[in-house]
Amino acid sequence: MQMNNLDSLPKKKILSLFMTCGFPTLNYSKKIFNEMLSHQPDIIEFGLPFSDPMADGPIIQEANKLALRSKLSTQHSLNLIKYLSKSKNNTSFVIMCYLNTIRKFGLNKFIKNIKNIVDGIIIVDLPFEEESAIKNSLSKNNIHLIKLISPMTDKKRSQKLLKNSKGFIYYISATGITGSNKLDYKEINKNVKSIKKMSSVPVLVGFGIKSKKDVIDIFKKTNADGVIIGSALIQKYFDLKMDFNKYLKGLKKFIKEVKV
Amino acid sequence: MKTYKQPSSVGRFGEFGGMYVSETLMPLLLNLDKSYKKIQKDKKFKKELNDLFKNYVGRPSSLHYAKNLSKYINGPKVYFKRDELNHTGAHKINNCLGQILLAKKMGKTRIIAETGAGQHGVATATVCALFGLPCYIYMGSKDIERQKPNVFRMKLLGATIIPVESGSKSLKDAMNEALRDWIKNVRDTFYIIGSTAGPHPYPKMVRDFQSVIGKEAREQILKVEKKLPDFLIACVGGGSNAMGLFYPFLNDKKVKIIGVEAAGRGAKTEETAATMTSGTPGILHGSYSYVLQDNDGQIKEAHSISAGLDYPGVGPEHSYLKDIKRVKYYGITDKEALEAFQTCSKLEGIIPALEPSHALAYLIKAFKNKHKNKVVILNLCGRGDKDLFTAAKAIGFDADE
Ligand SMILES: Cc1ncc(COP(=O)(O)O)c(C=O)c1O
Repeated sequence: MQMNNLDSLPKKKILSLFMTCGFPTLNYSKKIFNEMLSHQPDIIEFGLPFSDPMADGPIIQEANKLALRSKLSTQHSLNLIKYLSKSKNNTSFVIMCYLNTIRKFGLNKFIKNIKNIVDGIIIVDLPFEEESAIKNSLSKNNIHLIKLISPMTDKKRSQKLLKNSKGFIYYISATGITGSNKLDYKEINKNVKSIKKMSSVPVLVGFGIKSKKDVIDIFKKTNADGVIIGSALIQKYFDLKMDFNKYLKGLKKFIKEVKV
Repeated sequence: MKTYKQPSSVGRFGEFGGMYVSETLMPLLLNLDKSYKKIQKDKKFKKELNDLFKNYVGRPSSLHYAKNLSKYINGPKVYFKRDELNHTGAHKINNCLGQILLAKKMGKTRIIAETGAGQHGVATATVCALFGLPCYIYMGSKDIERQKPNVFRMKLLGATIIPVESGSKSLKDAMNEALRDWIKNVRDTFYIIGSTAGPHPYPKMVRDFQSVIGKEAREQILKVEKKLPDFLIACVGGGSNAMGLFYPFLNDKKVKIIGVEAAGRGAKTEETAATMTSGTPGILHGSYSYVLQDNDGQIKEAHSISAGLDYPGVGPEHSYLKDIKRVKYYGITDKEALEAFQTCSKLEGIIPALEPSHALAYLIKAFKNKHKNKVVILNLCGRGDKDLFTAAKAIGFDADE
C-alpha cells in the first residue's frame, strides 16, 4: 500500500488551503489548484460542491453555487483531483464534502476513484455516531477520516471521538459557519491544549482565519500545529470583481503571505 | 403486526432518520434529546401543556361531519378534524407550545424558526410573544411574497423576519439558514423546527406534540360512530399534521392511511414537491429520508402552489411508513388542489388552506362513488385566510368585477 502523506506532516506551522472544486468554472478551477499546488502547501482541501452546504457561510455557498451552475458533477471533481495528483509531491490531498455526495455516488465507487490519490476525507455532516461503516471502508484503503472538534464538544465526547484518530484533527475555532469572524485565542488555546492531551496527531485550527496576521497570532497565542484557510482564499475572487487574471495574481500573493 | 415502536434510541425509523449534522450541532442535539426525554416524564410539564392546549389553543378541535361534501362525493362519510380552528389557524401551534416549554426548561433565551407558508412562523411568533422571548423567523423571499398576511402577523407579534435569498428562496433554504443561525448561536438559542423533519430528536418530538390531533380524533370518532375510521387522509409537507393524525392509529391494522403530497405541475415533471412519489433516499437537513435529488445527490428545487408543501424533503417516519407499506402516498397537482379549495369552501362553508386542499382533492378524486358506508377522517389542518391572494390570482378572480 502506498504511503499516506498525512502521516508525515511537519511538526508545526502546518498550512492547509481549502478551495471548492469547479469554482468558478472547471477550467479556471484547474488553474487555481495548479497555482495553489505550486506553493507546495502541506495540505490542500478539495471541497466538493453541494446544493445545500448547511455548515458553510455565504462565501463558500456562493462558490458552490457557481461551480454547480457550470454543471460540475462529482465525477468532474474527482477527475480534477486525479489530474492534479500528478504534481502532488509531499502535499496531502484531503476531500471535504457532505455525506449525500458520497452516498449518491456510491461509497465503493468513490473510494475506487480516490484510492492512492487522496489521503484524507472530512465529511462535514457525518458525526461520530454514524461513521463506523464508512470509516472502516476508508481505513482499509489507507484513507484517513478526519475528525472535527468544536468548542461545543465536551471532554468526554472528545475522548470518544479522538480515539484512534489519524491524519490531523480539525478544530473548529469559532462556533459558526465557515467564514465567521471572531477568533477567541484564549478559548482556542485552552481547547487545543486539551485535545493535544488526548491525541498525538496534529491539531489544525480552521473557520475564520483570514489574514497573515491571524495566522501569526494563532501560532503565537495558541498551541495549534497548523491552520486551515478557506473562505479568505475564495473571497479574494469577489474582492477583485471576478477578474480571473487579477485573482490568480492575488491568490499567489496571498498564499506567499500566509506561508509564515 | 408487532406494536409500532419507532424511532430507535438513536432516532432511526427503520433505516431512515438519524443525525447528520456538523460537530458544532451534535452536542446540542444530544442535549436536546436528553432534555426531551426528561420532560416527557414530567407531570408539571404535561399539565402546563394541556392547560395551554385547552385555554390558549382551544383544544380539543372539533370533529365535523362534512355532510354536504360527503353527499357530493357519494362515497364514504367524511369527517374533518378541524385543526384549522386552532388559535393561529393551523396545527402548527400544538408543536410550538411543546417546544417553547422545553426551551424555557432548558434555559434558552432566544428562539429561531424556519417557515414556508408562514403558519409555523406565526405560531412560533405567537408562543414567543406569550412567553416573552425574542423571535427570529427565516423565510424565503418567494414565500414572503406569496404569504403576505402571515408576514404582517409575525411582525405584529413582535418577531424579526429574516428574508432568505439563497436557492429557491423557499422553505428548504429557510431551513438551511435557520440551521446556520443555530450553528452560530449555539449557547443561547433554541431552534423550533416546524415539521417532523430535521435531525433526531425533532421528527419524534414534533410527532409526539402533534399526536394530540390523532388522540382526540380517535376518541371523538369512537363516540359518534362507535367504531374506528376506515380511512385517514392528511396532506404531507414535512409531515407533521399527518403524523399527528396517523400516529395514534398505526397499530390499528384495519385503518387504512393515506398521505397526500403536492405534485405541483405533475409528479413526473420537474416542477413538483412529491418527494415520496418522485424522490429517492438521501440526506437533507440532518436526516436520511426520501428527497428530490439528481444523480449527483444535489437537492432539487421543489415546486408547489402551497408554500407549506413546497419542500423537496419529507420527515423520515413517512419514508419508513411508505417502505413498510403502512401508509400509501399519492400526489395531487396545483390545479386539483385549487379546485378542491373552492369545492370545500362552497359546500361546507369552510375555506381550507391550500395544504389540506391537497388532501381534499385526493379524497374527492379517489373516493367519488366509492367506499360507501365507510368512514373517513381528513385532517383539515389549516384555514385558507393566508392563501386568499395566491388563490385569487391562480383562479383569476378580480375583486372589481
Ligand atoms: C396548514 C398547513 N398544513 C400543512 C403544512 C405542511 O406541514 P406538515 O406536513 O408538517 O403538516 C403547513 C406548513 O406550513 C401548513 O401551514
